[in-house]
Amino acid sequence: MTPLQYYLALAAALFAVGAWGVVARRNIILVVMCLELMLNAVNIALVAFSNYSAIGPGRGEVFVFIVLAVAAAEVAVGLAIGIAMYRLRERLDVDELDDLKG
Amino acid sequence: MNGFSTPLFYIVAAVVIIPAVLMVSFRNLIYSAIAMIASFTGVAIVFITLNAELLAAAQLLIYVGAISILILFAIMLTKQRSGELRLFFHRQAWAALPAAVILAAVLGVVLGRGKYNYAPKPQNPTTAQLSRLLFNQYALPFELVSLVLLVAIAGAVLLAKREKRR
Repeated sequence: MTPLQYYLALAAALFAVGAWGVVARRNIILVVMCLELMLNAVNIALVAFSNYSAIGPGRGEVFVFIVLAVAAAEVAVGLAIGIAMYRLRERLDVDELDDLKG
Repeated sequence: MNGFSTPLFYIVAAVVIIPAVLMVSFRNLIYSAIAMIASFTGVAIVFITLNAELLAAAQLLIYVGAISILILFAIMLTKQRSGELRLFFHRQAWAALPAAVILAAVLGVVLGRGKYNYAPKPQNPTTAQLSRLLFNQYALPFELVSLVLLVAIAGAVLLAKREKRR
């Protein structure tokens, strides 16, 4: 069967792709989407550890349920901020939010 | 799904990673959202290979069902631009790709070299076991998460509400 390390490598790769998107892209909606990707990578790692660990079944999966709920909250607030930002200045680029810069 | 073979794992991993890379590189946000849905579905398949069927169902319902629709609505509520690549990527984007590759390499090496305490056989929690954990031992975090969701819903409505003209 597939070793645990394979799943961890998959999670690391997915996390890195999400981090790449967060750093490289300008659109705030795509940044939120990439954050979701990173949370999914963490979920894969948690489920993999839960599946292979010896501490009893399901401990890791409970964490994933809570991460799912927090991810839903995060995407709702993030997209609402994006919509509010679009109303205010008709733009969605995160690098233009520099009003607090002296 | 005990005895899940390694060649099949590569296919599932490709179903997760390739749409994710496409999602970051597409210029059209709708294409990105479709690729993101494909990647989330791949993650649900990964959960099935890890004996987490309930989580796979939750992943399909919450991510593929709810969050994708929310993101698609946000994309359609805003006007998208088209044009050159520099309109879509930061100035520092050229450094982001090598940085992400290094991040993946470091994470992979650190996670791969760890010493893990394997279970004698794969854990296969039933839904009843999961719910017993969630409602007995982890009842307080569960209730706190419901509070977090309530606050987030209220905040999202408040933020996205159109302000009245004065």
